[in-house]
Amino acid sequence: MHSILKTSLAALVAAGVTASPAAADGHALSGELNIISDMSNPAPRAVMEGMVEDFDALHPELEVNLTIVDREAWKTQIRNALGANPPDVVNWYAANRMRPYVDAGLFADISDLWAEPEFEALSSTKGAMTLDGAQWGVPYTYYQWGVYYRKDIFEEYGLNEPSNWDEEKANCQTLLDNGVKCYTIGTKFLWTAGGWFDYINSRTNGYDFHVALARGEIEWTDDRVRQTFANWRELIDMGAFIDDHQTYSWQEALPFMVNGEAASYLMGNFSVAAFRDGGLTDDQLDFYQFPVINPDVDYAEDAPTDTFHIASGAQNMDAAKEFLRFVTSADVQTEINSGSGLGQLPVNANASIDDDKFLKEGFDMLSGNAGGGIMQFFDRDFDAEMASVGMEGLQEFMVFPDNLDDILGRLEETRQRIYN
Amino acid sequence: MFPTPLEKTSRRWQISYQVLLPLMLIIWLLPLIAVANFSIKPEADFVNGNYWGIPSSFDAFSNYGKVFFESNMPRYLWNSLFITIPTVIGAVALSCMAGFALGIYKFRSNLLIFFIFIAGNFVPFQILMVPVRDLTVNMNLYDTKTGLVLFHIAFQTGFCTLFMRNFIRALPFPLIEAARVEGISEWRIFLFVVLPLMKPALAALAVLIFTFIWNDYFWAVVLTQGPTAQPVTAGITEFNSQFRAAYHLMSAGSIVAALPPVAMFFLMQKHFIAGLTLGAVK
Repeated sequence: MHSILKTSLAALVAAGVTASPAAADGHALSGELNIISDMSNPAPRAVMEGMVEDFDALHPELEVNLTIVDREAWKTQIRNALGANPPDVVNWYAANRMRPYVDAGLFADISDLWAEPEFEALSSTKGAMTLDGAQWGVPYTYYQWGVYYRKDIFEEYGLNEPSNWDEEKANCQTLLDNGVKCYTIGTKFLWTAGGWFDYINSRTNGYDFHVALARGEIEWTDDRVRQTFANWRELIDMGAFIDDHQTYSWQEALPFMVNGEAASYLMGNFSVAAFRDGGLTDDQLDFYQFPVINPDVDYAEDAPTDTFHIASGAQNMDAAKEFLRFVTSADVQTEINSGSGLGQLPVNANASIDDDKFLKEGFDMLSGNAGGGIMQFFDRDFDAEMASVGMEGLQEFMVFPDNLDDILGRLEETRQRIYN
Repeated sequence: MFPTPLEKTSRRWQISYQVLLPLMLIIWLLPLIAVANFSIKPEADFVNGNYWGIPSSFDAFSNYGKVFFESNMPRYLWNSLFITIPTVIGAVALSCMAGFALGIYKFRSNLLIFFIFIAGNFVPFQILMVPVRDLTVNMNLYDTKTGLVLFHIAFQTGFCTLFMRNFIRALPFPLIEAARVEGISEWRIFLFVVLPLMKPALAALAVLIFTFIWNDYFWAVVLTQGPTAQPVTAGITEFNSQFRAAYHLMSAGSIVAALPPVAMFFLMQKHFIAGLTLGAVK
């Protein structure tokens, strides 16, 4: 991994790292650069360490210190870390998850970086990095969501990838008539239901509406929200989802699809590795973008984005910005997201990706066919407390759709308490 | 006598007992059997939903191999040892001395101090979570083995002192008086008269504390993070990747982590049972 990265970097250096005004001015970066990263799982950890090593090598007079914190622990430590004696660069997440740190003035405004021409290539996530009209971080990786389905089962019953809601439902009815469930899902830990809501809501009412709802600007009892649930209910009433899904985790719901009892799974791209481990070949497994429901709204896609930010109290602002330019450059993003690294998608549209059909489809979809915008997923877009109450409600709705009025009333109460 | 010895019961009862016993044992051990079974399965079995069936291929070597050679498990096991053994030594040593003082000397606040030690056992340790974490952070002991050891010693000493004090109380006091008549210093009485008599209590307590500390999960999670300091009970979650739980590796890791206390139990069974009942009847 390191060596691959190094060779590509050598090329990068040879080509001249022109993106850097600091370097162009001839001022070499010096001093210390302190980075705290939450990339603590083995593969991401190796990626992060390799990246820092290479950045260090590019700037001989700069001392780069990397601290890696457990990913879960970081979620509670970040506020402390940014407060007293802050590091220069930290990892975090895009969209509303930035809100507490932006409001508290702990993240530095880096709109000037985003104004540089190189950042055009990152435009797919610019919306997700923007709060209050300014940008507060840069993305380094994301992955697509969509419908993963059993191609062999679809072929057996003569079905094609649906492109609109009617086709989706017609496919589903054919599957059900043949004793196959349309979708597997495990809602025990709630978040999987959030994916369904994100898609049905954004396809019904559009990205802007979805984001406004996430910001608490729209009532949950609004008729447009009810329309989303009405669309969702069509599937539930058909019996499209596997039974007793509230007792399974997302992993425990995999066997239904691997064993052919269900035909598809609305999931993130990380599920592909699991499907392959379960013995599905690329001939059996395929992917399609969630179909259109309302033809008047553009595609919006869930693509949770992981990010780097500069602390507002950073000691070495120049080096921190240079590091952000480094991690967003096409070559570095190609390397870190490759199969031997994170195995996800680079955000930089000029980056290239591994020869993997799911990564390719995802990359094309997110860079070219997500005109509505990129959503960060229910539990990242909504306020944390709203998300937790919300996802409970979504799960309840999937099991007892008749409780909808009750559920929406509860969500609306929560919204008013949190956002007012 | 209760319970009635089995030989004295009716034939029918004996037979049903012999049938029921293995049955209950299997039900009782079902979770452990499942973990053992999981630990030899390939990952594919979990994606296919083959949780309880026969493993589709025998992967014990590759699973346990990964645990030992491709993860931080050995590191975590060492951490566990470096946390457990100093704690056992520290807690037992301190409580021997405290027990000696409380059991032998008569001074005014003797009972009060003893009650304070006992009272410590009644504090549910979960409520100490936040203050203890802050304390270790302020003392620069957060995420170190030393911090964990110091806390465990402090917390275990209460129970150990109760145990030791009662044991020393039960020793024949004339032995100590005889030594005093001989003019032996108090320090030497402790070392050469009392300590040798305490061997069964020492062994029992050491075994008990070893299993307590080895199996501790709560403080390991609260006070440490990462492979530099975390013991094996907390380190096992490292097999979970960002998106997926690796059930097969976690099971194999759990079995490995559980072996030392289990081995301890079988090797020191006599002391273990003594430890649980010592001081119970007095």
